[in-house]
Amino acid sequence: MPREIITLQVGQCGNQIGMEFWKQLCLEHGISKEGILEDFATQGGDRKDVFFYQADDQHYIPRALLMDLEPRVINGIQNGEYRNLYNHENVFIADHGGGAGNNWASGYHQGKQYEEDLMDMIDREADGSDSLEGFVLCHSIAGGTGSGMGSYLLETLNDRYSKKLVQTYSVFPNQNETSDVVVQPYNSLLTLKRLTLNADCVVVLDNTALNRIAVERLHITTPTFTQTNSLVSTVMSASTTTLRYPGYMNNDLVGLLASLIPTPRCHFLMTGYTPLTVERQANVIRKTTVLDVMRRLLQTKNIMVSSYARTKEASQAKYISILNIIQGEVDPTQVHESLQRIRERKLVNFIEKSPYVQTAHRVSGLMLASHTGIRHLFSKCLTQYDKLRKRQAFLDNYRNHPTFADNDLSEFDESRDVIESLVDEYKACESPDYIKWGMEDPDHALTGEGNASGTIDPKLSL
Amino acid sequence: MTPSISPNEAAMVESIKRNLATQGKSSDALTFADLYTKFSSKIGPGSVKNKWAVLYLLKTVSEDRINQKNMPSNAPANAFLSSLSRGGLPELGLRNDSNLEGYKDNCKDLRGSVGNLGKMEKGYSDNSNDFRGLVGTLGKMEKGYTDNSKDLRGLMGKLGKREKGCSDGNVSDDFRSSSNLKDYRGKGYSDGNVSDDLRNLSCGGDVSRVLKGKGEVGKGWSGGVLMVSKDSENLRYMAYKEFVDLWKEENEVSEDVLVRDVLYSCQGIDGKYVKYDKNEDGYVLPDWMKVPRATRNVVRKLCELGWLFRKVKGYISESMNQFPAQDVGTVGQAFCAALQDELSEYYKLLAVLEGQAMNPIPLGSEGECSGNYMSFRRLSVWFAEPIVKMRLMAVLVDNCKSLKGGAMAGAIHMHAQHGDPLVNDFMKRLLRRVCSPLFEMVRRWVLEGELEDIFSEFFIVSQPVKDESLWREGYRLHAAMLPAFISQSLAKQILRTGKSINFLRVCCDDRGWADAATEAAAAVGTTITRGSLGYGETDALESLVTEAAKRIDKHLLELMHKRYKFKEHCLAIKRYLLLGQGDFVQYLMDIVGPELSEPANTISSFKLATLLESAITSSNAQYDDCDIRARLRVKMMPHKTGDRGWDVFSLEYDAGVPLNTVFTESVMTRYIRVFNFLWKLRRVEHALTGTWKTMKPNCITSHFFSKLPQAVKLQLILTSRKCQVLWDEMNHFVSNLQYYIMFEVLEVSWSNLVKEMELSKDLDDLLAAHENYLSSILEKSLLGERSQELNKTLFVLFDLILRFRSLADRLYEGINELQSRTAEVKSQGKSNDKSSEPGSWLGEGRKALTQRAGEFFKNMGNDIDVIGKDYTTIFEGFISKLPVQQHIDLKFLMFRLNFTEFYSQLQPITRGKLF
Repeated sequence: MPREIITLQVGQCGNQIGMEFWKQLCLEHGISKEGILEDFATQGGDRKDVFFYQADDQHYIPRALLMDLEPRVINGIQNGEYRNLYNHENVFIADHGGGAGNNWASGYHQGKQYEEDLMDMIDREADGSDSLEGFVLCHSIAGGTGSGMGSYLLETLNDRYSKKLVQTYSVFPNQNETSDVVVQPYNSLLTLKRLTLNADCVVVLDNTALNRIAVERLHITTPTFTQTNSLVSTVMSASTTTLRYPGYMNNDLVGLLASLIPTPRCHFLMTGYTPLTVERQANVIRKTTVLDVMRRLLQTKNIMVSSYARTKEASQAKYISILNIIQGEVDPTQVHESLQRIRERKLVNFIEKSPYVQTAHRVSGLMLASHTGIRHLFSKCLTQYDKLRKRQAFLDNYRNHPTFADNDLSEFDESRDVIESLVDEYKACESPDYIKWGMEDPDHALTGEGNASGTIDPKLSL
Repeated sequence: MTPSISPNEAAMVESIKRNLATQGKSSDALTFADLYTKFSSKIGPGSVKNKWAVLYLLKTVSEDRINQKNMPSNAPANAFLSSLSRGGLPELGLRNDSNLEGYKDNCKDLRGSVGNLGKMEKGYSDNSNDFRGLVGTLGKMEKGYTDNSKDLRGLMGKLGKREKGCSDGNVSDDFRSSSNLKDYRGKGYSDGNVSDDLRNLSCGGDVSRVLKGKGEVGKGWSGGVLMVSKDSENLRYMAYKEFVDLWKEENEVSEDVLVRDVLYSCQGIDGKYVKYDKNEDGYVLPDWMKVPRATRNVVRKLCELGWLFRKVKGYISESMNQFPAQDVGTVGQAFCAALQDELSEYYKLLAVLEGQAMNPIPLGSEGECSGNYMSFRRLSVWFAEPIVKMRLMAVLVDNCKSLKGGAMAGAIHMHAQHGDPLVNDFMKRLLRRVCSPLFEMVRRWVLEGELEDIFSEFFIVSQPVKDESLWREGYRLHAAMLPAFISQSLAKQILRTGKSINFLRVCCDDRGWADAATEAAAAVGTTITRGSLGYGETDALESLVTEAAKRIDKHLLELMHKRYKFKEHCLAIKRYLLLGQGDFVQYLMDIVGPELSEPANTISSFKLATLLESAITSSNAQYDDCDIRARLRVKMMPHKTGDRGWDVFSLEYDAGVPLNTVFTESVMTRYIRVFNFLWKLRRVEHALTGTWKTMKPNCITSHFFSKLPQAVKLQLILTSRKCQVLWDEMNHFVSNLQYYIMFEVLEVSWSNLVKEMELSKDLDDLLAAHENYLSSILEKSLLGERSQELNKTLFVLFDLILRFRSLADRLYEGINELQSRTAEVKSQGKSNDKSSEPGSWLGEGRKALTQRAGEFFKNMGNDIDVIGKDYTTIFEGFISKLPVQQHIDLKFLMFRLNFTEFYSQLQPITRGKLF
């Protein structure tokens, strides 16, 4: 009765990082490219059945669904060395194979169009697991398929599997370069709305920051997608280690996320990882002190979300919660010491509301954090959207689709409101009286979050 | 060992021969006998007439040579002279200065002759060639004799010393008697002194010839014949006669009879006169006897030996008769045997003395030399050493009467700490024998694990116990039986070593220890046969014990780790009883949860066992060693009415023999206590994550967009927000408590255990390490006795959280219902729109709905407020109590709970408000 997790890889980017993720998992669990357990890996306390299931011939098959509207990437996988790993029934490629043309609306509507096929696959996979814990969605928010079809899937999953968790690994576009996808801000905005409303947890993978890390930390002048994807896969696999190697705590996704996400809307997590390498380094024990790792994890240069904040704003940014997953030969006595040092040096700002510092060892330095600084990323998205929207640019492509038919752009406005209120809430988290937030502003009904009255907090009512 | 000197040639020869024979120089004795026959057969002119004197001279010379080192420079001659004089006359006129001087000259010469045999030979070579030859041979022989008689030397030294004292006594005694005489004889006595002296010397017989050969003494010497002037002799004789009569008148019994009596009494037999008096508790002369007070005293004094002897002998025979009875034991037996040996030495002495006592005591008047007689004075000298020994023995007997075994050895050992080498030697000899059974026991115990102690004398006692408590309770040190020469630490080591062997034999059914023991014995170099150790070789004992302990402990630990997989079991306990195996615990909680919510008495433990089984098979526990899996059981604790399954459910781990020595029942009870605590904590955490799931982001956020009446929506948001905040607070506490338990309690304790386990050298260390581990977990998880209050508070908090959970469940159920109702109403509304009469029905429905919802949210909000209030009060109480706990380091927990210093900022405010 493992708490199974089904991975949905949507779109070009989703399938690429998904592939990298599975490669990493296979390495860590000692599963060959064919899905057969390697001889050396028969021992060990790992739990493979969270992410894999065994076929009749003992092959390990990932609980993964590959979905795309164009065949290029998936064909690549199916012709690659891992072609025998996946269950071929779990691959969905749209019949026409034309893709979504970087158009959110196109992706969304094709998702609706193929809903039956997609949900059949998901249902089948869900039925195959004893106690499904939730879904993990890998996608990018800039393109067409990942964002559009992904958004549609999120809505559907929320509707149909409302009791299950939905976690996403969402790749945010590189905003430093001029992208070939000009409508990127539109796509991002529309996807962000679904991420805010329909996902339980969003792990933000910022391509800007990934590129920066590859250049600055790994000294690669022009990072390729493979290289940045390997960073992503490292983070993904590391964040699931506590599920795959059962320990005293955090053995399921709920437990892991429950503490990380104290307020429902602030469920965007950023990640940091150290030490970083591009080459695959499974089964390598990295030996650094716990303090080193923990301190480095808090350095902004190691965090995979770029901060667009100005200095003043950045200093106000606070951590809502942190989960450090430290792996390797860890002396448990060091953990406390490190925590103490970090507090002494005031290296971390926590929001005044509630302290959430959590640690679990077993993995080498991964930080999952809910940080108010992430709002600047959303603000940036908003600004870019506003720029584009003001000029009414490229809207024609969207009007062709039902959501925006009859020049009904209310979806855009609604999304904008959602994101804006999200940014507001994050901002409110930075203020010391977050608990009272919303009291003075009862009309914040749209965001819903703010109407908590100050009397709720027992500490203040005393 | 001649008690006295009698001018008996044959006796002297015998004495020399005996001496040689006792030295083990029987061939020398034979040669001597041969030489002597030649010597004695020389009769006629030119031959030595007083052959005894020659022999005696030679013997004394040899003895003196031995004694030379110990004696003052003139001692040899003195000894010779004194013995010579004792052999002859009872008195010496020492007051005559001129005589004394002449005497001293003689002494000097004698000394010279003694010192240099060659010179002497020259001196008398004129007279007798034969003699010279003979003396030469004898001298040589005696030289050899001297060299060989080293052992005798010590004794001789002592004897010599005593003889000296004895002669001193004699002299003073003689003074007294001579002063007595003075009353009768006046000056005449002193006049006769010279001739007396000469007569004295005449007893020396032909020695005077030798002396004359040196050409000094003069006067009464003439060709070896002593001229006695008759008139002075008569005078003296008369005086003696008178004295003796007087003396006899005063003494009813003669001295020699009394001496004999004393000797009897010294053997514990009542003599003719000297009898044991119970009232006096000693040997005394009967009151009716007419004896001088001095004699009475002397008898009493001498008979102390008899009294002591009686005591010792009495003890010995008593013990021997009792044996084999409980209160004597082998050590007691050995003690008796050693005493018996000492007594037989004593008997030998007494036999000799008795022989001498047969000779009458010369009383001047009787004139003739009665040879080796025995007087009180002599007796007291002879008794000097035996009485010391006898006293020691008597003291030992007194002290040890009630003791046995090790305690006895210990008591004797305490007496052996004596500065007097004589006492020390004596005691050591005794102890060696006394301790031999004890050491044998130690040896067998350490090397074979046998507790051969039928009389319970050993300082280790065994108790009949069950196998699992063999190590802890099976054997213990019996402090009273531990002799002082075995230190406490050594004793402990001895105890542990034997215990290990027995543990291996009984609990582990292992034979490998025998090799280890043999190896150990070989390493020390002792054989593993009996009797190789003794008192005074504590070092040897210690090294044997150390070696044996080292090897056997190593063997035992190896066995524990390799065959019995101690660490694996510890790990299994950590993973199952201390919930380290997260997935297993999770499944178990999922599947037994519904079952445990039932009242405790309706739950079947069989069903729980099946559930446990399925939890094992569906988690990673299935990959565990099936041996370990089989040991895991469900245990239902005794329950009261009203208990739920949650209260009584626990897991149990059956470590089995021999590991149940470590994981005893009481240890397992403590583990179960930890389990119950962790289980409860986990249950609370489970409840909280369950709640989170019902209000997880995508559920919550979607509610905000459902089309609800504005008022209801506001209320919904308000209430769920309340719920959220309270949840946050609870979750913060629970998860940080969990992290504290994991990092600061379980993992730290475990890593300490592993470290200590690696360092441990024997099972005791291992036990201690485990004990530390368990008690640190107990203490730190607030389960210790001193944190009961905190623990209680904690459980109240847990119960509150569980109450919150059900409340939150109701709230979200309500919300969901509300939503579906609204949807219904809406769809109805839509259909109504199409129908002919719109408005009222719908409005009513909506209104009722709104009202109901409002009520619902209000109630829920109030309930949440109540719980929240309770929770905060109790939690703050808990927080404030935390730093007060002095005995454990709870600052880690406090640190975690208050990482952002939220509570410390808060506290002053609340304090201010509270007071």
